[in-house]
Amino acid sequence: MNVSRLSFEGITKEFPGVKALSSVSFEIAPGEIHALLGENGAGKSTLLKILSGVYRPTAGDVRVDGVAQAFRNPDDARRAGIAMIHQELQQVPNLTVAQNMFLGNSITTLGGLVVKRREQERRAAEVLSMIDPGIDPSQPISSLRVAQRQVVEIARALLNKARIVAMDEPTSSLTPAEFDRLADIIRGLSASGVAVIYVSHKLDEVFSVCQRASVMRDGQLVGIADLASTRPDQVVAMMVGRELANEQHQSFRTEEVTMSLSGVSTQRIRNVSFDLHRGEVLGIAGLVGAGRSEVLRAIGGVDRITSGTVTLRGKPLSISRPRDAINAGIGFLPEERKREGIIPGRSVTSNVALASLPAFSRGGIIQHSRVRKTAETLLQRVNLRPFLLDRPIRLFSGGNQQKAIIARWLAAGSKFLLFDEPTRGIDIGAKSEIYRLIEQLAKEGHSVIVVSSELPEIIRLSDRVLIMRDGAVAAELARHELNEETIVAHAVGTASGKSGREEQFNV
Amino acid sequence: MSDTNTATKSPAPSRAIAFSVRDAGTLIGLLIIFGIFAVLAPDFLTSRNLINILQQSSINACLALGMTLVIISGGIDLSVGPTAAVSAVITATLLVSGVPVPIALVGGLVIGALCGLVNGLLIAYAGLQPFIVTLGTLSTYRAVALIYTGGNPVLGVPQSFRALFNGSVAGIPNSVVMVAIVAVLAWVLLRKTPLGEYLMAVGGNEEAAYVAGVPIALTKIAAYVISGVLAALASMILIGRLGAAEPILGNLWELDAIAASAIGGASLMGGKGSVAGTLLGAIILGSMRNGLTLMNVQAFYQLLATGLIILVAMMIDRVTRGRG
Repeated sequence: MNVSRLSFEGITKEFPGVKALSSVSFEIAPGEIHALLGENGAGKSTLLKILSGVYRPTAGDVRVDGVAQAFRNPDDARRAGIAMIHQELQQVPNLTVAQNMFLGNSITTLGGLVVKRREQERRAAEVLSMIDPGIDPSQPISSLRVAQRQVVEIARALLNKARIVAMDEPTSSLTPAEFDRLADIIRGLSASGVAVIYVSHKLDEVFSVCQRASVMRDGQLVGIADLASTRPDQVVAMMVGRELANEQHQSFRTEEVTMSLSGVSTQRIRNVSFDLHRGEVLGIAGLVGAGRSEVLRAIGGVDRITSGTVTLRGKPLSISRPRDAINAGIGFLPEERKREGIIPGRSVTSNVALASLPAFSRGGIIQHSRVRKTAETLLQRVNLRPFLLDRPIRLFSGGNQQKAIIARWLAAGSKFLLFDEPTRGIDIGAKSEIYRLIEQLAKEGHSVIVVSSELPEIIRLSDRVLIMRDGAVAAELARHELNEETIVAHAVGTASGKSGREEQFNV
Repeated sequence: MSDTNTATKSPAPSRAIAFSVRDAGTLIGLLIIFGIFAVLAPDFLTSRNLINILQQSSINACLALGMTLVIISGGIDLSVGPTAAVSAVITATLLVSGVPVPIALVGGLVIGALCGLVNGLLIAYAGLQPFIVTLGTLSTYRAVALIYTGGNPVLGVPQSFRALFNGSVAGIPNSVVMVAIVAVLAWVLLRKTPLGEYLMAVGGNEEAAYVAGVPIALTKIAAYVISGVLAALASMILIGRLGAAEPILGNLWELDAIAASAIGGASLMGGKGSVAGTLLGAIILGSMRNGLTLMNVQAFYQLLATGLIILVAMMIDRVTRGRG
């Protein structure tokens, strides 16, 4: 069998004014698990959209088992045996597992008028039993966890006898334990001859599941790596086109205490106390659900504090809504920027100015020239090229959106910056830029708290780390005590110093 | 996931320009309608008739400006017609009982503001859906107007009050001048004040606006109060013209106002809308009615034409703006 299951031959895609892909060629063998890597904007999505029939290539061929395909729409691609599993699962929450699996393809009787639900559920159960017998085909999709919903999507692919399964960021909301399960399922697919395309930002996962990787940059294929003989940093270098400097932690921590929490509790956290210093970057680690983000949300006025006090420079502060925190100089940068950070349709400038409009107004009228000047200066400071600032912020990358939100708090004069997962959804190149910005903020005398699931990130940034467990602070580690094993041990409660389960960490 | 990485790759029109492109589209639509009527109805393009159109559109434009602010905030105000009715019958009663015109006028506007305030409070603090709240007050306010008057019109609005709305400045009817002033104020509000930014932010992404410290409740309440005041003003233009206030006035006004906003580019999803577009939308609807009447087209077909115009406008909008 020398025929590739899937081959791209000279795929080029042009949009008006933009060449999104230029002459991309690579092949995937039956049963191969192939990673597709690249920064945001490298062209991965465009390629997947061509594979799934959403776009038609300007030039080049997609071949399945050697046969050139001309997909006119996603349905054609599905019929050719291609299944896409999207990052945001496309399922109807109120329908059952089986109904979702047969959506658009129902088994019917009486000339298509009546759906044979029993029959659908029986066949769904058959397929599910091969990968996750715990899922009942008659339960509604909304009652499943994200990981299980993903399994349903894979089962659907199997049901359609897919020969090629493309997964776009399948693990972005999975815990590592769930990832392990998914990895087993993927290996099962591969063993049955299905070719898998795996798109992910998480290199550790790529290295543990995939055999080869195609790396894209600026719409071109820059190389194909055999992962067994390649190091992650080599792959990163291919992706970003330069070696990421191996950066060292820098500390600007002073002895001056600027913020103290004493016995702060909310519905989700209990009795949290700590001091934050001027120029300090305080890391907060812990398992997902341990209450890390909730500490920030309490200080930021998003969650209600039920007891305890927050003291700023010796003065107790009463926070009952975000505005109170903002007025006290606290800026909260939420994890889900799309949901809680940006106003998508508004310009970058508007987004930057949003928290400090009264200060930019005279006689009730916003002085737009002043807003603009301030925004330009600040955006330069955070390294966001100060042009096209009138464009809606949703058109910018995650990294640039994050920079705009940093600028928002600088505009509001915030002295305390609370980052919840500062680099979530931000590509590798922009990550280190955000790190340098956080250090720059600390150097300028801001006090920073960083919550992160990524231990290398916590260790790279923090002068000190608090570890949360079950809503309370379980441990505090000084800079010199920081290593991944110790943090994990405290997070899971086996603090003998031995590495515990690395569950829910992206080590 | 992979949108264009930096803003540098695909040049697109700036936001300010993009907005005026949408407004320009509405203007082109209006010009096409003008062109068609100019050919079909010889009297259409006379300056007298054009002023007529503006006057006939002024009430709807007034309502639609308030509606646009509400729609931008992510809400909807179905109660503008009954709000206008309540305000009209109370203003008329005050006038008839001899209350000085300025006081009666302010009184009527305050009634409109109160109606809007009730909507706003229920939406912002009780957390109810704008559609449902204003559907409820749609009936409630109408009932108030009917109960208050016993179902009878309030007759005998004094000439001094009517003159205020029926007079004209340099040939332009006062009602048109008033609505023009309201439009300028609305434009300033939307483009130049924090409240305008907040309306856009709340409608664009309420959660993010909250985290950024935007006073969500106040912003929403302000939108409904303004809508209520403008409904009251619209009712005064009408009773000035008619000399009487009927408790059933303003029936279905909300639909015309929503139509004008939507034709003008307001998105019912919130976060989007423009003052210029809304005015043009109101004039489009007004000139359709005017032109068809000049052509002696039956009222049934006028309704049909209005409906089609709205659908066509939305379809053009969809196609030119692409997905989302």
